[in-house]
Amino acid sequence: MAARLILFFRLIIAPLTRERLRTGLTILAIGLGVGVVVAIDLAGQAAAGSFHSSLQSLTGKGDLLITATGGLDEKILGRLVSLPYAFDFTPRIEDFAAINGKGEAVPFIGLDLIGHNSDAISNLDQGSGPDLLKDGDAVWVGASLKLHAGQRVSLLINDQMRRFTVAGILQPRKNEINEQNVIVADIGLAQRVTEKIGKLDSIDVTVPAGGSIQFWQQLLRRQVPASVLIEPEGERTAENRKMLAAFRLNLRVLSYVALIVGAFLIYNTISISVIRRRNEIGVVRALGGTRMLVAGGFLCETLFFALIGSGLGLVIGRLMAVTAVKLIGNTVHALYISSQPAPVHLTWSAAAAGVGLGIAVSLIAALGPALEAARIAPVEAMARGCEEYTFTWRSNRLGLYAIVLLCVGALLAELPPLHGAPIFAYLSVLLLVAGTAAAIPATVIRFSATGTGLLRKLPGAAPLLAMRSLQASLGRTSILTAALATAVAMTASIAIMVGSFRETVQVWMNDQLEADFYLRPAGWTGPDQHPVMNPDIADQIERLPGVAAVERSRVYPFSYQGAPATLAGAETSSAENVNARLFLPGENRSEIFSKLQTGNYAVVSEPFAYKHRVHVGDTLHIPMAGETQNFTVLGIYYDYSAENGYVVVDRHTLLKYLPDQAESSLAVYLKRGAASDTLRKQIDQIITGRAVLIFPNRALRQAAIQIFDRTFRITYALEAVAVAVAVLGIAGALLAMVIDLRRDFALLRFLGGAKQQIRAIILSEAALLGLIATGIGVVLGIALSLILIFVINKQSFGWTIQFHWPVALVITALTGIYGATILAGLYPARMAIRMEPIEVIHEE
Amino acid sequence: MRSRTTVLLLALALFASGQTWQIALPGYRYEFPRDYFNHPNYQTEWWYYTGNLKTAEGHRYGFELTFFREGIHLTPQAAQSEDPTWRPDQIYLAHLALSDIDGGHFFHVARLNRAGPGLAGVSLEQRREWNGNWQVLWTDLSSGRQQLQAMCDQFKLTLALTPEKPAVVNGKDGVSRKGPEPAETSQYFSFTRIEARGDLYKGGTHAALSGLAWMDHEFFSGPARTDLAGWDWFAIQLENGEELMLYRLRLKSGGISPYSSGTFVDSSGAAHFLDASEFTLSTGEQWHSSASRASYPVAWTISVPSLDLRLSEWTDLKNQELFDRNRLTPTYWEGAVSYAGAIQGKPLTGVGYLEMTGYAKDFGSGESSQVNLGSGRHFQTRSGTNRTRE
Repeated sequence: MAARLILFFRLIIAPLTRERLRTGLTILAIGLGVGVVVAIDLAGQAAAGSFHSSLQSLTGKGDLLITATGGLDEKILGRLVSLPYAFDFTPRIEDFAAINGKGEAVPFIGLDLIGHNSDAISNLDQGSGPDLLKDGDAVWVGASLKLHAGQRVSLLINDQMRRFTVAGILQPRKNEINEQNVIVADIGLAQRVTEKIGKLDSIDVTVPAGGSIQFWQQLLRRQVPASVLIEPEGERTAENRKMLAAFRLNLRVLSYVALIVGAFLIYNTISISVIRRRNEIGVVRALGGTRMLVAGGFLCETLFFALIGSGLGLVIGRLMAVTAVKLIGNTVHALYISSQPAPVHLTWSAAAAGVGLGIAVSLIAALGPALEAARIAPVEAMARGCEEYTFTWRSNRLGLYAIVLLCVGALLAELPPLHGAPIFAYLSVLLLVAGTAAAIPATVIRFSATGTGLLRKLPGAAPLLAMRSLQASLGRTSILTAALATAVAMTASIAIMVGSFRETVQVWMNDQLEADFYLRPAGWTGPDQHPVMNPDIADQIERLPGVAAVERSRVYPFSYQGAPATLAGAETSSAENVNARLFLPGENRSEIFSKLQTGNYAVVSEPFAYKHRVHVGDTLHIPMAGETQNFTVLGIYYDYSAENGYVVVDRHTLLKYLPDQAESSLAVYLKRGAASDTLRKQIDQIITGRAVLIFPNRALRQAAIQIFDRTFRITYALEAVAVAVAVLGIAGALLAMVIDLRRDFALLRFLGGAKQQIRAIILSEAALLGLIATGIGVVLGIALSLILIFVINKQSFGWTIQFHWPVALVITALTGIYGATILAGLYPARMAIRMEPIEVIHEE
Repeated sequence: MRSRTTVLLLALALFASGQTWQIALPGYRYEFPRDYFNHPNYQTEWWYYTGNLKTAEGHRYGFELTFFREGIHLTPQAAQSEDPTWRPDQIYLAHLALSDIDGGHFFHVARLNRAGPGLAGVSLEQRREWNGNWQVLWTDLSSGRQQLQAMCDQFKLTLALTPEKPAVVNGKDGVSRKGPEPAETSQYFSFTRIEARGDLYKGGTHAALSGLAWMDHEFFSGPARTDLAGWDWFAIQLENGEELMLYRLRLKSGGISPYSSGTFVDSSGAAHFLDASEFTLSTGEQWHSSASRASYPVAWTISVPSLDLRLSEWTDLKNQELFDRNRLTPTYWEGAVSYAGAIQGKPLTGVGYLEMTGYAKDFGSGESSQVNLGSGRHFQTRSGTNRTRE
């Protein structure tokens, strides 16, 4: 055993320490690959939202949660607390407030601070501010808000700024991460300032001991109107997580790209190791070492790389996660829920998953070269002058593989989603990448056959020599090309997808946003955050001469079939609006809108229809105002503003069931020829003293596209890492080549080759590699973008994206990658130049 | 005489108020059933139910269910709320305790609420006092018949209460005096003999119970009493159909207040006032609480020479201390007790309740929690969320 260890060290580890730079590059590549996976995993967890977890840490975890669309009538609470069972009810107001009206809104929670159960008390115990009862303006704040007891603070809630006194700081409970980015007030005060008098947002229920939760759920069910929702606690969190699942799955898959690129590099590195140690392998085999021993040795080398690389990956991942949380948080905020990102928390399971994945991918990638090494016959290996590894590729067979892989891949893209996730589409992408990799040797041969002819015509021998060298080491170069091509293809496909999406959204906005001014309450709004404005604002604006119409809309978050969705009451009577919604082909807008006003009819957004499999003519059952109301779907319209989906009904229909006049947003249409500037000033005057924002049409569009761009930053960041890994690989491979070909370079120098010429050869080789990879990558990328746009996106989110060519974006990305590839050749070139020809020749 | 609640409730909010509360005055004319219910003009008010019950097999239980109401003065800002539902101007506290005398267990829970959307209250229209699902419903106002219901995690108790005698007014001239100041008074009446029948559900078992209950109702707007150390209160239901209520006010100076008093109810239901000079109370065995470290005299000797009555008091469950580990409510001893002795030479026994306050020290201030009466202490954050679970 000891002897084996010594052998392992001498044969495997010792050489690695001699080639520190290349070893370092390989480890860094694995590290980056694993790091990205870990970072996305951690950030996804953290960004998934802590709104409810911070609520839980305040009130303790209940068993059931009672809610209703548009709020619960508080009288229900009085009825429930009288039930002769040992329930525990915690009524809550859940809203948002922006401190001093700036920045992101913080959850603003109203709790019954007099009757509340003791779990919350431990938190509310602190602080020595003014009396809760005496002044009626006391709030308790989370420690992370950096306020202190006794301080006066202004909070923007809905369209009004209000003054409060900080009565105390909420202390995180033991063994709990401090995620208390929250403001707590007594329930009466909270109702008043959020304008929810007589209403509760939720009642948290702890059921008596004994009996199942279902039993108690049914018992409570009989006590409340049909419109009231009673669900197991955690359902909402689960719903939110479910809602985010598609988004997170896509991100996660994206994060694997860097790791896959890294796998190609491992393959390459181990291949080089095998070539280098042909002699040693021969000796070991001649001395009685088995094939297993040889293969095992190289797998151990891989394991060594993988372990250190994955360890490094954990560090990188933890660091990158902080940035990733911000990037992901933007997207989550814009499209899903208002959540404060939780602190990044590297768990053992996440760490184990990252390291395990790193090791598994590395070992699989190294399996080929390791088995290849085991097959080498001892005599053959020890023969002098046979150091150059000849790639025993069987181009016909590989070509066949390629065709099969590509065909199966294309077919898989046609399959429907599995459990709502586009699993087959991802498999399809993977097969297309593998198929392309298999096709690369043949492609490189074609390319160099035609390329050599072309290069002959160019002045200078360097490119020609580079091409020859490329051809000679086809096994290695094709793998490198595959790695880079994969990175390029992913980048190109994402660029095309995002570009198409952006264009689609812009076209949609041009149709959708036709009003001259838009008004909404200041502060943060999100898919689940809908602050409201005083209805008299709309009335006053409507009376202004020059205003053609004011379109009021009111929005409520609600739960449909266990998934969060948005219910909107929109003015459908104003003529201006008729054109505003873009319906799926084949639907008659004006007909739909005139019918919408006449009763319980609805139109739904495309993601809603997709997610809930709703078709025109279907009936939606929406619990509202005491009972479940039925709405017939008249049409499905394009919408890119929220992924959870909209159900839009006529404003007057909604008011019938939820009679709250306050508005979530206003659209103001001016009369033809009206002076926009004058009206803007008049509207500004109306909203003076109210925290209401006014956007001219253009500004709103700009803001929307800015949000859009923000949501895709994480995507770009992930691509950049994959490209970085590929470029690292190129550098490592060129370095290996320089070392392997040092004899040739020395000979060239000896024969009078100038340093510049040597550099030119190496840079040319890098450039050629880059060119082939980019070419293949773009073709693959276009194919992948089609899958992304029409299969993965549609199956994950339900959005229809029109294909557009984002030429500038693709060219910019490719130029960057290409430049980086050539730069990667710089260091190896310098090394080649620095070698002393005499010494090298002598060494031989 | 249950002025100990002022301890807690006055501690909640007592700041200079422009509004004055109605003071309990002599000559008050009781009007039943109206006076069974709430008197919002008075600052403090409580409804107090205690009793000794037995299963058919003779297993003994004691119970206590109390509802308190405390009026709170709000600042104009806090009072301006257009919606009064959650306005904290009336605070309702309730205590529930069960003494499993023969099982050797004592349970107690407290509950604090404001009126809210029906969370707690007292209502003549609804004929009930309630705090969450603890409630007493007056099923028949003329006979005073009531239905009691209370539960917590450990048990659930339901009792049908039927008074065997009408309510008696304690004190003299309709007022119960506690001290020399004009406002040191309360309006105080009692149902001293109530037949109680009902059910106890505990740990998956059910027991039918019956026995004797006692009900007190008191309302007042008392000022701070800084000279009191605590008090000892006795409810005695004798087997010959007579009852006795006695309370002794202990002064900080060590003496006994001359305003200690009592009521003797004869078998016909007529009440006879007893002043401090008409009875003597002396302490016997001490019980030491390991929770609060207080020592309580759990055995007493009672003598009322004018009635030729001598009684000794004891309890078979010494730990009936309502100890709040969070020290949000004062710690006191209140429990089911037994009496034996002789009246006019005839031996007799009885049951009842004993309440002892002012024996436990307040850890925070180092002084008896009971003397914090109306010290002007502001409402503390923690008292606003006062709800203990044992």
